[in-house]
Amino acid sequence: MEYRQASSTEIDGTPVHGGTEVVPLIRAGLLHTDTLVDIRRVVPRGIDGGRIGAGAPLAELECDPTIPDVLREACRLAASPQLRNMGSLGGNLLQATRCWYWRLNWPCRLNGGDECFARDGEHREHAIFGNDYCASAHPSDVAAALLALGATLRTTQRELPLAALYRLPTEDDRRTTTLARGEVILEIDVPPCEASVYLKAMDRKRWAFPLVGVAAVRSGGTTRIGLAGVAPIPWLLDDGFESATPLPRNAYKVDVATALVKRARTQLES
Amino acid sequence: MARLIRTEKEVEGRYEEVWLVVEEDALEQWPQGPREIVGRPATRVDGTERATGQAVYTADLRLPGMLHAAVLRSPHPRARVVKLDLAPALAQPGVHAAIGPDDLDRLTFEPTFQGEAVAAVCADTLAQARAALRTVVCEFEVLEPLLDPDEAVRAGSLLGEPRVRTRGDYERGLAQADVVVEAEYRTQVVLHNSMETHQSVVEWVGDGVEVHISTQFIWGIRDGVAEGLGLPPDKVRVICHYMGGGFGSKNSPDDYTWIAAELAKRTRRPVKCALTRREENTAAGNRNATIQRLTVGARSDGTLTALGGEFVNAVGSSGWSSGTEGPMQMLYACDNVKTTTYGAKLNLPPMKAFRAPGFVEGTFGLEALLDELAAKLDLDPLELRRRNYAEHATEGGDYSSKNLLECYRRAEPHWERRHAVRARSTDTVKRGVGMASQIWYGGGGPPSYAWVRIGSDGRATVVTAMQDIGTGTKTAMAQIAAEELGIPLEHVTVSLGDSARGPYASISAGSSTTPSMGPAVRAAAADARRQIEEIAEQRGLAGAPIADVVDVLEDAQILGKGARGPNPTGMQVLTFGVQVAEVAVDVETGEVWVDRIAAVHDVGRVINPLGASSQIEGGIIQGIGHTLSEERLHDPATGRLLTTTLDAYKLPTIADVPEIVSELIDVPDAHLTNLGSKGLGEPPIIPTAAAIANAIRDATGADVRQLPITREEMLRALREAKERERHGVPAGV
Repeated sequence: MEYRQASSTEIDGTPVHGGTEVVPLIRAGLLHTDTLVDIRRVVPRGIDGGRIGAGAPLAELECDPTIPDVLREACRLAASPQLRNMGSLGGNLLQATRCWYWRLNWPCRLNGGDECFARDGEHREHAIFGNDYCASAHPSDVAAALLALGATLRTTQRELPLAALYRLPTEDDRRTTTLARGEVILEIDVPPCEASVYLKAMDRKRWAFPLVGVAAVRSGGTTRIGLAGVAPIPWLLDDGFESATPLPRNAYKVDVATALVKRARTQLES
Repeated sequence: MARLIRTEKEVEGRYEEVWLVVEEDALEQWPQGPREIVGRPATRVDGTERATGQAVYTADLRLPGMLHAAVLRSPHPRARVVKLDLAPALAQPGVHAAIGPDDLDRLTFEPTFQGEAVAAVCADTLAQARAALRTVVCEFEVLEPLLDPDEAVRAGSLLGEPRVRTRGDYERGLAQADVVVEAEYRTQVVLHNSMETHQSVVEWVGDGVEVHISTQFIWGIRDGVAEGLGLPPDKVRVICHYMGGGFGSKNSPDDYTWIAAELAKRTRRPVKCALTRREENTAAGNRNATIQRLTVGARSDGTLTALGGEFVNAVGSSGWSSGTEGPMQMLYACDNVKTTTYGAKLNLPPMKAFRAPGFVEGTFGLEALLDELAAKLDLDPLELRRRNYAEHATEGGDYSSKNLLECYRRAEPHWERRHAVRARSTDTVKRGVGMASQIWYGGGGPPSYAWVRIGSDGRATVVTAMQDIGTGTKTAMAQIAAEELGIPLEHVTVSLGDSARGPYASISAGSSTTPSMGPAVRAAAADARRQIEEIAEQRGLAGAPIADVVDVLEDAQILGKGARGPNPTGMQVLTFGVQVAEVAVDVETGEVWVDRIAAVHDVGRVINPLGASSQIEGGIIQGIGHTLSEERLHDPATGRLLTTTLDAYKLPTIADVPEIVSELIDVPDAHLTNLGSKGLGEPPIIPTAAAIANAIRDATGADVRQLPITREEMLRALREAKERERHGVPAGV
């Protein structure tokens, strides 16, 4: 495997920034590449008001007083200090699911197979929305926060709302993002908001992916709720939890999410 | 005088009759209370080596010419190898040898659990070995696994006969009860997760073999390897200077040692076989899951009239059915007890002893059941336990010592906090306090030996071929020798970790290291002191400091030797304790957190209070993981494991650790050896889960019945409690 520094944003190979996701995926045999391109020198990393370089490490965002509470808190509650020192904002948005079947390389639908093993198997950490084809859960706290904030991304090829970065996997296309090969996220634009909060339920106090993450943002008199850990992609909550389709062993996520959403709304009102 | 005796030897609650040569233990115990050195806090004598990376663990070892092994393990819980071709691996760069079941009978064509070893290769580097392993052609015919413990019991897939233990007349006791509570409890599979994975480096030297291994039992490895390789035991040298965690899982040689030995023999090179984290969390052992169907009957004043239980240990494909019924049999005075214990043989990785195997699980069930009873009788849980206190052992010989009532007394201030804790509850966060008792073994036993060497510099070296498994044994042994010799702690060195350098020493399992080794070390130091006193007498220096007496020795040395004497005849040596947990429960989200745990344990004389408090903290933290977040999950259809990495398998982090208050009764067991010390390795993990579960009940009225107490289990229990309340049924039904 070749490893080289990127000299421009024309990337020919697999981009790697902090490496906290790419390296484990290579080790686990889930990502195959001949060339790793280190993009740390070509991706902006500054924080300038509502414009955040995709290379900004979570560790810097978690203590930045100028960004919305929801984003700062989502960064603070993600991973461990060591991982947050390495992991970038852009990379965090692109991390893959923690579904154990997928991570252990089972021939599941995300891995190109024709079965979702989690649906009939062990799925306590899995999706309660959008889970009929693939029950994996998206693990990014930060993505839920940016979704609720209505952030937009600038990539090497285009500008797009964050929501348009993600897609539910289908029979014809198993990918969960719309990013083209060689396309790299450069900057994230975060619109201002009136108030925001991030609440997270996990199996231990720190260093765990969200069972449920709730990002709530009030802006222009309306409140938007983004959820982490409840669907194969970051999930914008529109009409409450009636449309949830929990599996036998993860119905508790509906209760937890309902409670956290109520709590988040209360906090925004106070 | 040496004496041959027939005695019962106990390790991890398992007894066996053995012949033992013992020497009389002529020393009087020291008076109760802290001495000059023993009983006072001492920092670890090897702390600097460990903290600065100078300590060489087996994982650090790089011998000249050493090859690295990689092991092909079955990905299936039950399968048959229909094709195995090692030739492609042998053609890979750096590869020196490859072996399959035809070459080594510890490898198998018919794996009965995921992770069972099928083949192995060794190469110059680990990367080469792993790359070569991927080229091995191995085809499996996948067979239907047996995964359900109850189904195994029904089908008679058992390890050993069901264990039925009865006392009195259980049915009659039940008929005498005013109140009966029945409940089913379940505990999960948890993993040892030793920081240093299981591993060996084996090298053939002359006509013998040297085994560097991360182990809790140097001499057991020596005997096991000798038997396995057909060598005289003296031709096997076993070395383990530092060990990175075992918790009961590192008592035997196991596949990695046999693979390293065979590959070393074929290549005439030292070979290291080290498990990866994923292999460790698949094939290195686990605390088995249990199902406990329990019944308690009591009079309205709380007097227990009957205790009964059906216990199913989901052992895995091999291993043993541990004493999950032990606490129910032993903890309380109850005339009528009946337990049946099954060891279910399944196509899941075999259990290994894990810090108080059986008693951790059984105490969760029993002590949660007792609190359900207390709730039903509207009795104070601590008072209920006092009313059923066992003055005498419930069976067998009587206690050599027992200070559980004193533990209860000392726990009272912590227990009293419950009123203030509850008062801090809000609409959504309920707070409460729970307690649980602990009973366990921990007496150690013979044989164990130590030598003490003193030169003219007045410094002493304790020599014994024991292991320090990370618990601070080296420090405790140095304290005992320094105390007996009357010299500063810094003047004592402890040499251990090598079967070629020192006499036989006991296993470090079953909370036995200090009670087994400590008396031998003290006896050896006393033997040296006696000789020095004789010299002092001759020189007219009676009563002078040792340094002044040995000053004349030049190259001569004082050599003392000591042996562990027998355990008291006709008595059971047991440890006791109580823990009080304070928890908070978010009743909307099911989040549980532990704010504080107070632990009071009775383990006889305490050698090093600092090391002891570390043991208690470690046990409680491991117990919190067991109670709240850790679980090895498998796919229900195939039995393949899902949580073998440290992101998926959730150990507690430092943020999950509450305030821990530890207290020790510190009264020597007058019947036990020249020290009166029992072991403390296991007791602290035993009552933690039940204390937390009982605190949850105190806070919310909900009965949690299953470990770990995840969000879903907590919310289920809360829903159940709400239903009950709606129908006006009291708790505990």
